[in-house]
Amino acid sequence: MESPYLEMKHITKLFSKVVANNDVSLHLGKGEVLALLGENGAGKSTIMKVLYGLYHADSGSIRINGEEKKIRSPKDAMALGISMIQQHFSLVPANTVTENIIMGNAHGIIDWKKKEQEIQALAEQYQFDIDAKAYVRDLSVGAQQKVEILKALYQQAKILIMDEPTAVLTPQEIDSLMDFVKSFAAAGNSVVFITHKLREVMEVADRIIVMRNGVLMGSLEKDKTDEKELSRLMVGRELVKTKRDEEQQEKEQADCLVLKNITLKAENEIAKLEDVSFSIKEGEIFGLAGVSENGQQELCEVLSGYKSPTSGTIWFQGEDITQSTIEERISMGIGYVPADRHKFGMVMDMSLSENMLLKSSFKPDWYQHYFIDKKKLNAYTASMIERFDVKASGPDDLARSLSGGNQQKVVVAREVDNGETLIIFDQPTRGLDLGAIQNVHETMFGEKRKGKSVLLISTELSEIFDLCDRIAVIYKGRIQGIYQHTELTTEKIGLLMAGYQEKKEALV
Amino acid sequence: MTSFLARALMLSTPLLFGATAEVFAQRSGVMITAIEGVFVMGAWAGFVGSYLSGSHLVGLLFAMLAGLLTAALHGWICVYLGQQQVVTGTAINILALGVVAFFHRVIFGVPISPLQVVPLAKIDIPLLSSIPFLGPIFFQQNILTYLMYLMVPVAFFILFRTSIGLSIRSTGENPEAVDVAGINVKRIRFSMVLLAGLVGGLAGSFYSIGYLGMFTTNIIGGRGWIAFAICFLGNWNPIGVLIGTLVFGLAEAVAILMQSSGTGLFPNEFFIALPYIITIILTITRKSFNVPASLGIPYNKEN
Repeated sequence: MESPYLEMKHITKLFSKVVANNDVSLHLGKGEVLALLGENGAGKSTIMKVLYGLYHADSGSIRINGEEKKIRSPKDAMALGISMIQQHFSLVPANTVTENIIMGNAHGIIDWKKKEQEIQALAEQYQFDIDAKAYVRDLSVGAQQKVEILKALYQQAKILIMDEPTAVLTPQEIDSLMDFVKSFAAAGNSVVFITHKLREVMEVADRIIVMRNGVLMGSLEKDKTDEKELSRLMVGRELVKTKRDEEQQEKEQADCLVLKNITLKAENEIAKLEDVSFSIKEGEIFGLAGVSENGQQELCEVLSGYKSPTSGTIWFQGEDITQSTIEERISMGIGYVPADRHKFGMVMDMSLSENMLLKSSFKPDWYQHYFIDKKKLNAYTASMIERFDVKASGPDDLARSLSGGNQQKVVVAREVDNGETLIIFDQPTRGLDLGAIQNVHETMFGEKRKGKSVLLISTELSEIFDLCDRIAVIYKGRIQGIYQHTELTTEKIGLLMAGYQEKKEALV
Repeated sequence: MTSFLARALMLSTPLLFGATAEVFAQRSGVMITAIEGVFVMGAWAGFVGSYLSGSHLVGLLFAMLAGLLTAALHGWICVYLGQQQVVTGTAINILALGVVAFFHRVIFGVPISPLQVVPLAKIDIPLLSSIPFLGPIFFQQNILTYLMYLMVPVAFFILFRTSIGLSIRSTGENPEAVDVAGINVKRIRFSMVLLAGLVGGLAGSFYSIGYLGMFTTNIIGGRGWIAFAICFLGNWNPIGVLIGTLVFGLAEAVAILMQSSGTGLFPNEFFIALPYIITIILTITRKSFNVPASLGIPYNKEN
């Protein structure tokens, strides 16, 4: 039998004592698109970082064209035609496109004019609309990814590894990426596509490798499998999709939160939020879709009281809270699950019960004779751990010792309890595995049934469609439109997210 | 007037050396907070080398070696051990002063009058030095100042026109990107620290053998820190740094002039403090800095 183009055999990789990859073997053919499917922490990125020379395997071997190769650094990998696009792009924002692409691939004195022309020609060859002289910090995320791809093409990569490439893209950008992957593979190159999204796998891959807990669960031809089998292999059990209940739809509910003409603009800067108006009803899940960094963070900050809007008014249950402090808003029952839980959600070096106390430490309930009532707090935390199914040994565990999914459950538990009337979820499921995502989604439905209002901010369209009653789309700090969830298609929302304003006559 | 400007230019020399050294190191992500110590070691070793051998060349070599070793200690702790740069540098600065004071006494005892060497000779460049007005300012200087003329264009060229410059700049901004491109981040950073040590050592020796012809332990008196500040004020750019150093050179020259002639209006101490006052004022008033994004952050990854 002819040996495959690339083979990785019995790769084992340990991080201190944790097994990231356990005896993983895989192969890749010429012209093949291989999808590497698995949950966060399944070891997909690790095995590819071993191939790219960023990590060194503890045992195992790599063969290319049947010949054993040692890959000690990305330099070795690149010399073998292997290129990898990291999940978090490896670009220098302060440098130009050209500088980013030639870094590590140019020697001695650089003739900038000539290099810029080369890069521009390469971009045009692949129909990428990229200016070689532009600074990367001025480019959209989608364009930055094209710069990453150009970098690989410039190195004449034969094997292109992409780590979760679609996470930050709009649906249209995803389509054009898929087209590129297919044509690149059709030209005789190979692609490894790391993802946890089943739909993408089914669209682009020839063959699928599923990983779970660092172990290879199976290698399947796309034509001989389906999403159900893949998700079972990936998660280890059947997942029941959370269902919305449709009954209580029609009742007209009172407004819980009303935003009117909210603008946030620092002097001499472009507005982060511009004339944002919407309202959320009681017992409603209101979705805010959009590509990240289009004002979502700022909107949360304005709502939670961290920043004051430049102009506009916020009403909460009929009361003007525009100038209310954070503490007042918490007391009024506004909960907020921030997108960056490490930075804004928790203190990693504090215990779970201390973290539970964080946002309501001013409440006298927690004190006895001016000291924290540790017993009461621990009992409360223990009950929340139980209720939200947090995997922790007890209230005294350090937040740091928990997995990402369990940390998120703790933040959600606290905010659901604090937010007696309104809960703001900013990217609540980012980086969580499917089980934890399901848990968060069920919580949201549960709170909705209790009559609470929920604002769900997400870049994940499937989440928005599955959960929300009404959906607004945000682009560059402006609301592109507000729709019933039944009114929108993926294509339409994608266009709105990319900034295309809907023209009444040209409605699709 | 010409002698005043010539002195200003001369006094700019070590500051430009030091600040340029900082530019390279900081562009790669490492603050040489030990720069004061590097200056002190350079000044002392330069003096010792010249005094003992009678040769300035040996003195300059000693100065570079001492600067190199001091910086290497800083680099090893900050780059390879990944420790906090400010604390490390501060400790090394104190250490350097102690080392110098101790060994100076061990070698020379306590002489009645300060030991002296002949300062670096002024070299007249034929023809150019006889240009009226400009000649005496620019072309009757010592070898280090002539080296300074070369330093700005060379530094600019390396940083912005060569692949190594691109790697250095990228390392200070996003070391992960550099790592992924197959370039050794720590090696780049450590080499920049060593380079800064060599150049900083020379800068220090300027104060002992280039100018005063003697050594005292307080000879540097915070000028390393001024070079450090100039790197910031010059926006990590060799040309910005040049402007910064000329301002400070001028301030120092004014201070010396005022000490000898005096105005009667201000006390002499005011002029001595002038460079330091300017540092503070400029730091406060400067609005935007293009700080390298990863400046001061150690790079570590598991592998």
